[in-house]
Amino acid sequence: MLDVRGISIAFGGLKAVQDFSLSIPRGGLYGLIGPNGAGKTTCFNLLTGVYTPSEGSIAVDGVDVTGLPPHQIAVAGLSRTFQNIRLFGQLSVLDNVLLGLHLRGRHSLASTLLRTGFHVSQERAMAAVAMRLLETFGLANRAEEQGKNLPYGDQRRLEIARALATEPKVLLLDEPAAGMNPQEKKALRELIQRVRQEFGVTILLIEHDMGVVMNICERITVLNFGQTIAAGTPDEVQNDPKVIEAYLGTE
Amino acid sequence: MSKLFEETRSLKAPVWGVIPRAAWPLVVAIAIGALIYFGVSPLVGGFVSKVMLIVGINIVLAVSLNIVNGYTGQFSMGHAGFMAVGGYVAAGIVYYGSIKLWGSADPAGGILSIVQEGPKSGPLLGKGDFLFVISCLIGGLVAAGAGYVVGLPSLRLRGDYLAIVTLGFGEIVRVILQGSHDQIQPWKAADAAAMPVYELAWKLGGPKGFNLVPTYTTLFWVYFWAVLTCIAAYRLKSSSSGRAFLSIREDEVAAQAMGVDLTKYKVRAFVFSSFFAGVAGGLYALDIGAISAGDLNFIKSFDIIIMVVLGGLGSISGAVLAAVILSILPEALRDFQSYRLIVYALLLIVIMIVRPQGLFGVREVWDLKIFKRRGGGLGGSAGGAP
Amino acid sequence: MTQFLQTLFDGLTVGSLYALIALGYTMVYGILKFINFAHSDVFALGVWMTIVWSKWLGLGQPGAAPTPWYMGALVLVLAMASCGLVGFVIERVAYKPLRSAPRLNVLITAIGVSLLLQNTGQLKFVFGPYPKPIPSLIDSTELFSMMGVSVRMADVAVIGTAAALMIAMQWLIFGTKLGAAMRAVSFNTRNASLMGINVDLVISFTFVVGSMLAAAAGFLYAMKYEGQAKQTADSMWVMLGLKAFVAAVVGGIGNVRGAVIGGLLIGLIEFFGVSYLSSHYRDAYVFAILILVLLLRPEGVLGKATVEKV
Repeated sequence: MLDVRGISIAFGGLKAVQDFSLSIPRGGLYGLIGPNGAGKTTCFNLLTGVYTPSEGSIAVDGVDVTGLPPHQIAVAGLSRTFQNIRLFGQLSVLDNVLLGLHLRGRHSLASTLLRTGFHVSQERAMAAVAMRLLETFGLANRAEEQGKNLPYGDQRRLEIARALATEPKVLLLDEPAAGMNPQEKKALRELIQRVRQEFGVTILLIEHDMGVVMNICERITVLNFGQTIAAGTPDEVQNDPKVIEAYLGTE
Repeated sequence: MSKLFEETRSLKAPVWGVIPRAAWPLVVAIAIGALIYFGVSPLVGGFVSKVMLIVGINIVLAVSLNIVNGYTGQFSMGHAGFMAVGGYVAAGIVYYGSIKLWGSADPAGGILSIVQEGPKSGPLLGKGDFLFVISCLIGGLVAAGAGYVVGLPSLRLRGDYLAIVTLGFGEIVRVILQGSHDQIQPWKAADAAAMPVYELAWKLGGPKGFNLVPTYTTLFWVYFWAVLTCIAAYRLKSSSSGRAFLSIREDEVAAQAMGVDLTKYKVRAFVFSSFFAGVAGGLYALDIGAISAGDLNFIKSFDIIIMVVLGGLGSISGAVLAAVILSILPEALRDFQSYRLIVYALLLIVIMIVRPQGLFGVREVWDLKIFKRRGGGLGGSAGGAP
Repeated sequence: MTQFLQTLFDGLTVGSLYALIALGYTMVYGILKFINFAHSDVFALGVWMTIVWSKWLGLGQPGAAPTPWYMGALVLVLAMASCGLVGFVIERVAYKPLRSAPRLNVLITAIGVSLLLQNTGQLKFVFGPYPKPIPSLIDSTELFSMMGVSVRMADVAVIGTAAALMIAMQWLIFGTKLGAAMRAVSFNTRNASLMGINVDLVISFTFVVGSMLAAAAGFLYAMKYEGQAKQTADSMWVMLGLKAFVAAVVGGIGNVRGAVIGGLLIGLIEFFGVSYLSSHYRDAYVFAILILVLLLRPEGVLGKATVEKV
């Protein structure tokens, strides 16, 4: 479903990500871990088109998206959340999700201004879908609140809901458990599992919390200094000496 | 893959609603225009009518600028430039058009466009009125074209850079218009009538301005356009396009990640906004009967910006309210003319420190709690639930 | 040939004024990342301070004895000091409360400050709404003529003072501890404050220095155009300031050497455009260059491209 072959990028002299490859089958749930500054978020930025890789290729469901601008990559079926939550703070919770639905509709200036039948029915359909999504995430009762007024955990969930609204094939989650307490983390784990089943999306997640990663991910890739140092099942990775060295240092 | 969206697509809007939905803004605009022109204006007298006319034009300007500066969060400082483009185009069409068609630049309007004392008589629309309406439309379209050109660099420029570029655009427009050739005066109408259109197109009076244009703008036309602008802005705001604008303002990176095409929507905002600025320019020029690029400099752009900022970046009713207040204020404070801009300036600084979102922020008057308690509010009737 | 040299000379003289003003824009942008719109008005204030102080000291008035150079320098220092003070107040009152606000808000505030300065200056009890003549502090007769280019004392003073100030700035920013602090704050405000740098002080200092340079530019402008009558609320001031801003952008905003190069470049482009193409479009050339530069090389001639962190 997601095929990444040897992508690299350098900022100035710093090789932030080097020769990163990853292949996730349909419906897979993979993890990307590594110490701080290992290049995980940069990887996400490369995948979603925020940065353009200097080499390598990215394909979503067999369609090459290398070098496309972010909005076209979103159309191709890659959606993401952000490490430092990036909701549209002044917009309502509902509007945030509606924005996710935006790219699956057609919105011409003329039909908007004239309120054609197509426009009106589309807006209605969007509102209905958005509300159902919010219900799934337990946010329906907060639909009219401004995004920035939600509690932290709800903001994280809203970001996932918004990303799902784009009907992605692949969902990238950037540290979804960051700043959560143990109960919230447990709920999040269940949520991710549920999303995967209900929406049938392929998921790649960056996470620092080993409890979350090791429990739910099928395979894990470990980055350090921009390079892939290990890849495999949670058990394999946990016992890999290079991974232990990267996290704990050498004696 | 989720089938949610396909399932719900079938929620069709009733077909019978299509034509009324497209047409009612026009009906409302005509009704309000007529009400103000025939009903209110004779009651309040000449001076107040004149102020109301300025208010109306400023409403068009403020509400349209709000789409770029308020909704989309881009910062245009060239709104007066678009106004000048539209104004010159409209004035040129009406002036030379009248000469070409009827041999003289005298007004040839009906009741709707001639300011009469006493009972109004004669045909509702004169032959000149059609020229006038078309000229405003074309002025708006040409300004929209200019908006397209200015909107393109906005893709690569953020915030203050874009502000400077738009300001530069306004100044370039001014300088270029001031470099146009001398106008052909009305008493040489025969010369003008014999000249080909492309030659006339550049005889716009240069630094002296374009003068002696027949006047058509009345309260009817001004409020007709003001209402249309507000409804169009409202429809835009409460639709997917409007949400896309707001998302760009909130966070460009996240907006792009959600599939919002920044290029398309920024340009769309500029095109839409400059169209109405162009129309306002036409109304302005054909009210005074003259237009001078020198008057439409960046100070004029600032005036409109102040309205938008005071009313609330993103609020239509806020922009309308601010346009009303800030257009009446200088008339009321004639004796304190030299303090006007000082007050404005202090207002800007204080708003930014105390209430940076302006009076209303993105909200509308009817979103306020006092209106909410009475239920429904204006939102519903203004097409909140289409 | 003569026309070419004369244009070159004029372009460089005015360009060095732009460069001085551009330094102020660039330094503030480098540290606070916003366009200090009011900077052009501080420059205009510099012209007015020159007029006011000269009058107060009885210098350069019709019928007065020629001004000795040290008195001229005194006026320059006084004008710089008064504008420095104004710059300090502007920063503390209008911009400091907005340190963490979105850049757009600061920009709007800056427009407000600009309008405030312009229109306050126009009040009867400040400078008044009527044009005032600029005193002649420097002998305006031709100093010498070389290959048909006439060089006046005023021109020499303009280029000389501007060059001296620019070298002083270079030393201040790259050769002193305070300069290092400024560069640190510009690089990363938060980290700089963690390293024990008094950020507020550095920012205030930047505003004061920038305003003083603008005042110096104002003084030199007055020297170049002595005898002419000027109004306070004239869009000309904003225009001059904007051209200086364009110079800062063209040179690479936030880059001190870029501002100097940009200033000279803009001066030359303007004057060559006027003398070889048409004087009608004087202001349009500069903005056309700006739009071109922003589209082709948005980081400016000497600027560095930055990547936004996501």
